[in-house]
Amino acid sequence: MKDELQNYMDRPKRYDNIDGTGEMAFGLMALGYTFLNYLQAVLPEDSMWRHGFASMLLFFTVILLMFGLILWVPKAIKKRITWPRTGYVARRVGGKSWWTAMVGAAAFSAVIAAGVGCLMRFDRRHDWISLSWMGAAAIYAAGYAFWIYRMERHHPWKWLVLLFMALGLLAIALIAPADFVGLWRPMLLFIGLT
Amino acid sequence: MNEQLRAISELNRVIHEPGRLMIVALLGAAKECDFLYLQHETEMNKGNLSSHLARLEEAGYVEIEKTYRGKVPQTLLRLTRAGRAAFGEYRKGLKAAF
Repeated sequence: MKDELQNYMDRPKRYDNIDGTGEMAFGLMALGYTFLNYLQAVLPEDSMWRHGFASMLLFFTVILLMFGLILWVPKAIKKRITWPRTGYVARRVGGKSWWTAMVGAAAFSAVIAAGVGCLMRFDRRHDWISLSWMGAAAIYAAGYAFWIYRMERHHPWKWLVLLFMALGLLAIALIAPADFVGLWRPMLLFIGLT
Repeated sequence: MNEQLRAISELNRVIHEPGRLMIVALLGAAKECDFLYLQHETEMNKGNLSSHLARLEEAGYVEIEKTYRGKVPQTLLRLTRAGRAAFGEYRKGLKAAF
């Protein structure tokens, strides 16, 4: 059990995401992927942007733009809005516990990716509509709940965001009249917007 | 003298003061921070906070850098290596005492 002093030392870590820029960055990433998928849907079949070098160029341009936004937008918000109001703190990263967390997160992600890959393969072979994307959405929601519990417990409003997100994803999964391929667009768009 | 009492009596008096302990605990977890952040977190007034920081700087535990962020003056604070070591020793002493 943590002592009071350790709780106090955890404050800079919790403070780092007091403005929600972490979630914002993830949302931008989801919107970027949604945009790429939208382009795939609207571009004509014989368009040069769908094939070969041009499609790779388009893909990497969007990805680079997305990463640029992910790096720039949260920093700009912190510099112009958060830090003038709440003060500036740069938390320490590194050390044994940080590396343990990184390796653990990578291992967990690899297991989940392998699990979703298997589900998707099973889904294609057995025609289980939307199973893998519903599973992925559930895992995402569970991951976000875990993150809130570990890092953001002291910002209770984030639980409301999680609830809204979970209900929204459930509604899309149950109501949206789409198959496995069609469902992931509205789900990703919803995740990005929230 | 009882071992625990001895451990309590040997605690670092510079860090042991409650206001300075809060400051050192916050700086211990951060790479650096500014004066405004410490003021928000410790809820001390400017005078009180400045006085504690001056004492910590005098002991060599805190480094104070006055700079600018754009056109706005900013005071950056960091724990020195000696400060981190002293805080580590203080925590060990506290655990031994209780």
